[in-house]
Amino acid sequence: MIALPALVLLPVLGGGVAWVAGRIRPVPTPASRDAAWWVALVTLGMETLLLALITFGHQPHAGPWLAHFSMPWIPAMGIAIRLDMDGLSLSLIWLSLVLCFPCVFLSTRQVTVNAGAFHFLFLATLAGIIGTFLATDLFLFFFFWELMLVPMFVLIAAWGHEDRQRAAMTFFMFTQGSGLIMLVSILGLVMAHYRATGVLTFDYVTLSRTPLSPALSMLIMVGFFVAFAVKLPVVPVHVWLPAAHTQAPTAASVLLAGILLKTGGYGMIRFDVMLFPDAASRFAPVAMGMGVVGILYGAWMSCAQDDVKRLIAYSSVSHMGFVLTGIFCGSRMGMQGAIMQMLAHGLSTAALFVIAGAIQDRLHTRDMRRIGGLWAAMPRLSSAGVFFAVAALGMPGLGNFTGEFLVLLATWHVSPALATVAAAGLVPAAMYALRMVNRIFLAAPRVGQSPGPDFPPRQMAVLACVMALVAVLGLYPQPFMAFSLPLPVAAMTGGKDGAP
Amino acid sequence: MIGHDVFLPAPLLVLSFGIMIMLAATAWRRSAGRSLLGGMVTLLLALAVTGLHTGDMPGSKGDTLFIQDRWTTYTAALSVFSSMCILLMSWRDTAHEGAGTGDEYVLLFMLGTLGALAMVFSANYMPFFVGLEILGVSLMGLVAFRRRPATAGHEAAMKYLILSGVSSAILLFGIGLAYGVTGSLRFVPPIATADVPAALPVAATVMILVGMFFKLSAVPFHMWLPDVMEGAPVPVAAFLAVVSKIAIFSSLVRYFGMGEQPPFLNDILYAVIILTVLGGNLLALRQTTLPRLMACSSIAHVGYLLIAFVCPGLLQPGAITVYLAAYSASTLGVFAAMTAFAPPDGPEGTAVAQWTGLFSSRPFLASVMALMLLSLAGIPPSIGFLAKFQIAATGVAHQRDLLVCVLIIGSIIGLYYYLNIIRVMLATPSFPSASRNRDSRPELTALVIVLTIIVVIGGLFPVRTIHPLLPMRPAPPEMRDETAHWRADLR
Repeated sequence: MIALPALVLLPVLGGGVAWVAGRIRPVPTPASRDAAWWVALVTLGMETLLLALITFGHQPHAGPWLAHFSMPWIPAMGIAIRLDMDGLSLSLIWLSLVLCFPCVFLSTRQVTVNAGAFHFLFLATLAGIIGTFLATDLFLFFFFWELMLVPMFVLIAAWGHEDRQRAAMTFFMFTQGSGLIMLVSILGLVMAHYRATGVLTFDYVTLSRTPLSPALSMLIMVGFFVAFAVKLPVVPVHVWLPAAHTQAPTAASVLLAGILLKTGGYGMIRFDVMLFPDAASRFAPVAMGMGVVGILYGAWMSCAQDDVKRLIAYSSVSHMGFVLTGIFCGSRMGMQGAIMQMLAHGLSTAALFVIAGAIQDRLHTRDMRRIGGLWAAMPRLSSAGVFFAVAALGMPGLGNFTGEFLVLLATWHVSPALATVAAAGLVPAAMYALRMVNRIFLAAPRVGQSPGPDFPPRQMAVLACVMALVAVLGLYPQPFMAFSLPLPVAAMTGGKDGAP
Repeated sequence: MIGHDVFLPAPLLVLSFGIMIMLAATAWRRSAGRSLLGGMVTLLLALAVTGLHTGDMPGSKGDTLFIQDRWTTYTAALSVFSSMCILLMSWRDTAHEGAGTGDEYVLLFMLGTLGALAMVFSANYMPFFVGLEILGVSLMGLVAFRRRPATAGHEAAMKYLILSGVSSAILLFGIGLAYGVTGSLRFVPPIATADVPAALPVAATVMILVGMFFKLSAVPFHMWLPDVMEGAPVPVAAFLAVVSKIAIFSSLVRYFGMGEQPPFLNDILYAVIILTVLGGNLLALRQTTLPRLMACSSIAHVGYLLIAFVCPGLLQPGAITVYLAAYSASTLGVFAAMTAFAPPDGPEGTAVAQWTGLFSSRPFLASVMALMLLSLAGIPPSIGFLAKFQIAATGVAHQRDLLVCVLIIGSIIGLYYYLNIIRVMLATPSFPSASRNRDSRPELTALVIVLTIIVVIGGLFPVRTIHPLLPMRPAPPEMRDETAHWRADLR
């Protein structure tokens, strides 16, 4: 089954072509910039087509998975290229692709310096993320996990805003450092398996059956948790996030907030809760407590920001607190809520970053004290902004509400007190979202402000699709909830390919 | 005892003859270009015959000067290949020297390579020590070759001479003690027997180890390396960082074998590893010039290699071989990029600040440099990632928790200073970069491309490229068997 590696390789190849297309002429012209942009767009189109084929096509020999691929890589160490797709990875990959379209349509065309390289790095990050969602060999997972950081680092450091280099360094140091801790955990798990069975393997399914002492499994689980907590982010290790999101160019902000954070959530589901269910349930009170702290802290910090992108970044911290709480609830409902929250947050926050980027392009500032009254000048942009801000505050009928509600309900079953505190986080959420709407769009225009053109209809159409998706997630979430659950570990071993 | 023994690894023969022919040619007419060509051909020949030897391989009982197995073949090939790369790096400058002193440079360089190979192949204290001294003496000459400013080169050479002399003295004292204990010059740690005090062999081993640590520049014997590498010409610094370290490390592995080490040795190694990894990385944080930074980073990498050395087991041979290859290729790549960046005259571009904005002025060079640095930091898709992964795997497999922690902390610190260079290269230059030389140097471009391919392919398809080179069960286990024989003989 070649579709899965193609899914990972296609963006890289397309990015390479885009790079070449951008450099064909020695002096960059608008035409060569556009060439790179077109190549990126076509690549994304082909990728979507491929994903649609995998989604709706019939997959033979996939076993319990939706799609499966495996070939040996480093047999001496039991490392193979194993890619598997279940509902969770499929829905997150769909999210990634859907988000790339607004990025490409609304933002990357404005990149004037070295557009070819920009598109290559953009698509390379996407490839790394997709690989992370698909890998079921722990070495391969780690490989992709590290791989997606490098292009993102360069995107931030080279195309970002004023304080970009510091932000990029912090981002890389935090994620890579925590990644090394995960590496030790992976190796610990593999070695424990080797000692117990004499088989050296990095296969997820095989390793899931490793007999572990409670202390050891706790230690390994926490090692994984640290890496994912940095990515998600969980509050004490969220330091990199506001800077990175704020300083990154718009497209990179969208990728960061929309998808990169989801790799943390995905990892927690796949490699913490599912791989070490016992240790995770013992660790759950701590994790849920951290999640609730994140909800409150993120919302509170968000209320205090004047920088639009920083405000959105802190709101992400708050929303990801819901994801963490939901994942560690230990119930199906909490898991569903967390996944719904990831999808809805991806869409709404990414759209907010696109809008914030558009505002910055037009007004050359992100400071809300110097922006105001955009509604009159740019009605389309403003209406989109209001829609997604309202979605972010958890308006019933939109996707984020579904996720937050499910998580709160699931938390209530575990601990009513915790659910109450978490629900209190919705109040500052309303505060920061409405404050942002009020100051940017509704207040009186500032003196000396020269608003640029509004969104053209084509860009508006792309945003409208995202809006529609957020609304569907809110109004009719059932199919997504049922579909996007991860494949249980027990079911993986049942298939003919799943068994070693 | 060895007069009738004609066993000689072929690369040593080829190199010796090549050097003699070059000497004769120089006596006839001086020409730097011909010397360079002769040196390159000799190295190519040596690479071609790495696995061959003259005479019969002595049996496990016979005493011999040299030994040849997969480990020597691998490290010798790696050394010769690195020497070729470094010779390519110094091609332009040496040719510029013209009839002046270009010949001496090449000759000293070839002698240094010969010394390194002698160490790699040695199975006896004699050729080991002779090789070490050939390497040391010729390196002193090479270090002093720096023209601009000449005093820096001389100062570095003096430092190297003195410290290298001190370490050789310690090493020689250790060898003498070992000979006193065992009555043999075989290249294995002395074992205590009934009629000598137990402390003697331990003292001998420790002194030999200290001598080796000096040459490997493990902390706390590292002081000389940054100064010397900064003072030396860039290719010579590369030689110091790669070839001489491969040779010493190869001898270290040969000497102590790959199995479990005795407890006192393990304790020393533990302490040295922790100091080396942390010390090297912390020192590198403060450096502002690239040779010093690479010196500190090479100190840290020696520490990582030693982690694999003290964790015997299934993964150890693979980890050591891959790490050596990854370290050599990436370090050579960095130095090649530095050479390509340096203008032909005027101050060499070794300060990190001079690299500002390289991504916009010379994107190819900057990309290569970034890739090599990422490889040294251990980030995919480069061979350095795989290497660091395997080192960590050996540590975890052996439950050396402390060492694994040190490895992680060291790697995080390392990440910072490697990334810092990339950050500088990405920054927009504050001054116009008109004065940069942009002359193309085809030999360097070719070298850089080859190294890039090695680093990337080695990272993506390690099986195809690395595995044929790997001695899965390398020589040292056999050597341990020989040791057993030899111990039996003694009794």
